[in-house]
Amino acid sequence: MCVGLPAKIVSMKNGTAVVDATGARREISTELLDNVEPGDFVMVHAGIAIAKITADDQEETKNLMDALEA
Amino acid sequence: MDTRALDIIRGYKGRPIRVMEVCGTHTHAIFKFGIRNILPDNIKLISGPGCPVCVTETGFIDEAIYLAMEKGVTITTFGDLVRVPGTEMNLAQARAKGASLKIVYTPLDAVQYAKDHPDEKVAFLSVGFETTVPAACLAVKKAKEWGVSNFSLLTANKTMDEAYRVLKGSADAFLYPGHVSAISGMGILRELRDEGISGVVCGFTADEILTALAIIVRKIEKGEPFAENAYPRVVADDGAPIARKLIAETMQPCEAAWRGIGSIPGSGLELNSEYEEFDARKVYNVPEMHGRPNKACRCGDVLMGRIKPHECPVFGKVCTPEHPIGACMVSSEGTCSAYYKYDLG
Repeated sequence: MCVGLPAKIVSMKNGTAVVDATGARREISTELLDNVEPGDFVMVHAGIAIAKITADDQEETKNLMDALEA
Repeated sequence: MDTRALDIIRGYKGRPIRVMEVCGTHTHAIFKFGIRNILPDNIKLISGPGCPVCVTETGFIDEAIYLAMEKGVTITTFGDLVRVPGTEMNLAQARAKGASLKIVYTPLDAVQYAKDHPDEKVAFLSVGFETTVPAACLAVKKAKEWGVSNFSLLTANKTMDEAYRVLKGSADAFLYPGHVSAISGMGILRELRDEGISGVVCGFTADEILTALAIIVRKIEKGEPFAENAYPRVVADDGAPIARKLIAETMQPCEAAWRGIGSIPGSGLELNSEYEEFDARKVYNVPEMHGRPNKACRCGDVLMGRIKPHECPVFGKVCTPEHPIGACMVSSEGTCSAYYKYDLG
């Protein structure tokens, strides 16, 4: 129940979105985010998008390690 | 391949460090990626109480069964809770005795079910931390907007802030659960830092976990308390303000009982007076139930990091994923489940 699912927004309508999570599609709520649009990746918990994903993990960890070693 | 994080971790020569991974999903990821096996002897990982099913008291399952069996309420729930033992039976066994039980993916499906079945009394078992609380709040808000008076929540929701304070001293640093912080943001973690509690917000890939551990090593070498965000692609500094506003509109803090830890003031959430018409305990006058867990089960000690699962006398013998005695073996995020799957399996 508490596992986050990263998913790509395919379409949006009235506070809901159809997302694609590695091929599986389902409808989720986007009512708690105000800055997402089709094509964005979001983190889904219990049927609700709780956060927009702003980068991939490789890019993120490279930046963090660069900062740590600066 | 960027090995800088691993080089920092393996090159650490300082005093022994204990790092508590608070989140059950981290526990499973750490096993899955074999991270424990590549750490030096002076860095130890301890599993903490961050699986919401595992910290839910036996009495909560008893309350759900009371609603189903005594009040004829249809119970809607996440699948993880179905085989968590109550005092006399679990929800699956209650279903075999006639209880109406529906598994849902989200509380929004539960309120929709209630709307579609106005002749049924429907309750959703609302467990979970900051990550799942907004979904329950949104469900109850929709119930009010839609006039779905046959819907209610049986709440056992918890928040992590006060738990971190209770766990102070259990570890030198926390791997903070990434998605809890996606809601609550970095502010509370900076408050904890100022109280001497250190940790790094961590994602769930191997690279992200190793990077967070490397940051912990470097910060501990410096000797100052710290609160760092190693998952900024998901965790914004101010978290999710709309979600927190929704929680504040519908729920209020309360004392909560944590299996293995005990009662922590202000660590739970219950519906506030504006939404009490959807509070299953009030709607159905549920009597207070304390629950009696199996005495052989040592989930509580596992959750506090006091013992490893294989030190529990029933682990892997009579307590298995097929026949769980304790909640930590039931949940897919439970520590015992992880040890059984990756250490014994």
